[in-house]
Amino acid sequence: MGSNTTEAHPIIGNRIKKAAKGGLQIVVIDPRSIDMVKSAHKHLQINVGTDIALINAMIHVIIKEGLYDQGFIGKHTEDFDALQAKVARYTPEYSAELTGLSAEEIAEVARMYATSSKSMIAYTLGITEHHCGVNNVFDIANLALLTGQIGKKGSGIMPLRGQNNVQGAGDMGCLPNQLTGAVSLLNDDYRQRFEKAWNVEISQKVGDTQTRTFDKIETGEIKALYCIGENPLLADVHMNHTRTLLEKLDLLIVQDIFMTETAEMADVVLPAKSWGEVDGTYTNTDRRVQRVRTAIEAQPNVKEDWEILCDLSTLMGYPMSYQSSEGIWDEVRELAWEMYGGITYARLENEYGIHYPCPDESHPGTKILHERFHADKEAERRSSFVPVDFTPPLEKPDELYPFTLTTGRRYESYNTHTQTRHYAAGVKIKQTEETLDIHPVDAARLNINNGDLVKVSSRRGSLTVKTKITEQVVPGLVFMSFHWSEVPTNVLTLNEYDPISGTAEFKACAVKIETIA
Amino acid sequence: MTSKSQVKTVCGYCGTGCGLILEVEDNKIVKIRGDKEAPVNKGQTCVKGAFAYQYVHAPERLNSPMIRKAGQLVKVSWQEAYDYISNRLSALKKDFGPDAISMFACARTTNESNYITQKFMRTVIGSNNIDGCNRT
Repeated sequence: MGSNTTEAHPIIGNRIKKAAKGGLQIVVIDPRSIDMVKSAHKHLQINVGTDIALINAMIHVIIKEGLYDQGFIGKHTEDFDALQAKVARYTPEYSAELTGLSAEEIAEVARMYATSSKSMIAYTLGITEHHCGVNNVFDIANLALLTGQIGKKGSGIMPLRGQNNVQGAGDMGCLPNQLTGAVSLLNDDYRQRFEKAWNVEISQKVGDTQTRTFDKIETGEIKALYCIGENPLLADVHMNHTRTLLEKLDLLIVQDIFMTETAEMADVVLPAKSWGEVDGTYTNTDRRVQRVRTAIEAQPNVKEDWEILCDLSTLMGYPMSYQSSEGIWDEVRELAWEMYGGITYARLENEYGIHYPCPDESHPGTKILHERFHADKEAERRSSFVPVDFTPPLEKPDELYPFTLTTGRRYESYNTHTQTRHYAAGVKIKQTEETLDIHPVDAARLNINNGDLVKVSSRRGSLTVKTKITEQVVPGLVFMSFHWSEVPTNVLTLNEYDPISGTAEFKACAVKIETIA
Repeated sequence: MTSKSQVKTVCGYCGTGCGLILEVEDNKIVKIRGDKEAPVNKGQTCVKGAFAYQYVHAPERLNSPMIRKAGQLVKVSWQEAYDYISNRLSALKKDFGPDAISMFACARTTNESNYITQKFMRTVIGSNNIDGCNRT
């Protein structure tokens, strides 16, 4: 669901396609006719942002036809009645209207998912980058709990993560509400463990998400931002607004490997070591901790991220010093031992990767989470269903802005393209610049030929871009990535956010398209 | 004489975590291939993982700390940059409190650097205003 796996996670895409040849049935749920559709048993080409309408109707069918796992629900869950009441009105016919699908295909996929011995849901930002992203995820969890498709091999919920170490960064405690090991900082015992080791009192005030940070820059409550290896000016929604906010800061520190668009606005820029020059561990999308190793001597006058922070820390009166990444990792292992205690560098040398939780050195690591659901003992705690309602995208197309723009990634480029501008010589790149992907019917109606330059505008900004006529999109829907600073797609996107996660609605906004004479 | 080596590592792009073997000559990465022993990718690579590595050696890499002076970013020593940051952050913390400072951590750097990043915020600054690109 909402994952263009072959372009954004090509190797996972390969493995899924290979499994399809061995009998795996794939259902692609995506508004675009992405490459994976070719290997899929079925494609539900839903309207952008109607995932909950679809999932609720699937739940409706599964309950009505008695295809749910009654034993599992009785033993492990709560609030089944509330779920049943919530989905009552989401008949396949009702949701067919909302999603643009047929009632029959919704019911068919519901039956496939519920009755298969093993069903798994993989998703990415097509699920989360909506104003209702958290509700979308809740509803996926509802579906998995309803059918017991979780906690056993070949089942479960798999968010495919976009950055090499986005999983690890959060797990290490780079989140406003969690300490290292993914435990709430409001957990007194756990926080005190860190306070003792660090010899400080840790603030019990939960911090701000990036989204809230931008709000508080606007109100003047936040004066300084220290930004490491990230390019929010280009990557975040409503770019013109982001620029105004960054200008408002008293102090912007950027630590990076290139002079990014964000770095150009900074008061101080610090040059960091790059991949290839650093040593340590990354945690991948399936919780596997693996070693990244130094391959080359770093360029002159750059420093590793942790080295810079230790130097600053010491200068500011809290001495920190480590001899190596391994020394830091051993501190992590000691403090968050429930997760990492057994994952030593020595073991990683021999075993390649180990899945956390791995509390001690004799523990093999945990390949499958939530196995307790199928264990032969009384359940210690129950999981609640969280019934949710469908809410349509916040900015719908209208007479002035008649197209829905959805955004995503392309195969050869990575995020704001600061690194993928530098391919090895001789590599043939298919997509060398941004395009507006538009359906032939719309192109004909607007009198646009393939490759024509057009002006695309939303209520927030406009840009000029070449068109690519393709049946990957449907009439009324256009697609762009945000890889090229020359065509800054995020001047168009909408600054509305999920109230719980703070994730912006990158996947839907209204635009108009004008030909350039 | 050229010096050659092979280094096993993990790809730095998406979250799949493919194992790679880097062929290095004279301190330059000259070739990348998938590591057949890697459990995730069993020797496969995508176009980014195998070929988009020249950025490491790009002449445009930042090579000095810089401070904005009279509107322009100018190169300075590490010590000057450290002193500047330390003074400014300390002053802002004193005047407006620790929660007037916020940090965006990096989803591309190592676990070890991320651990230190949040430790820096929670000890030196005294705030939990730390987040990554989890939401984008």
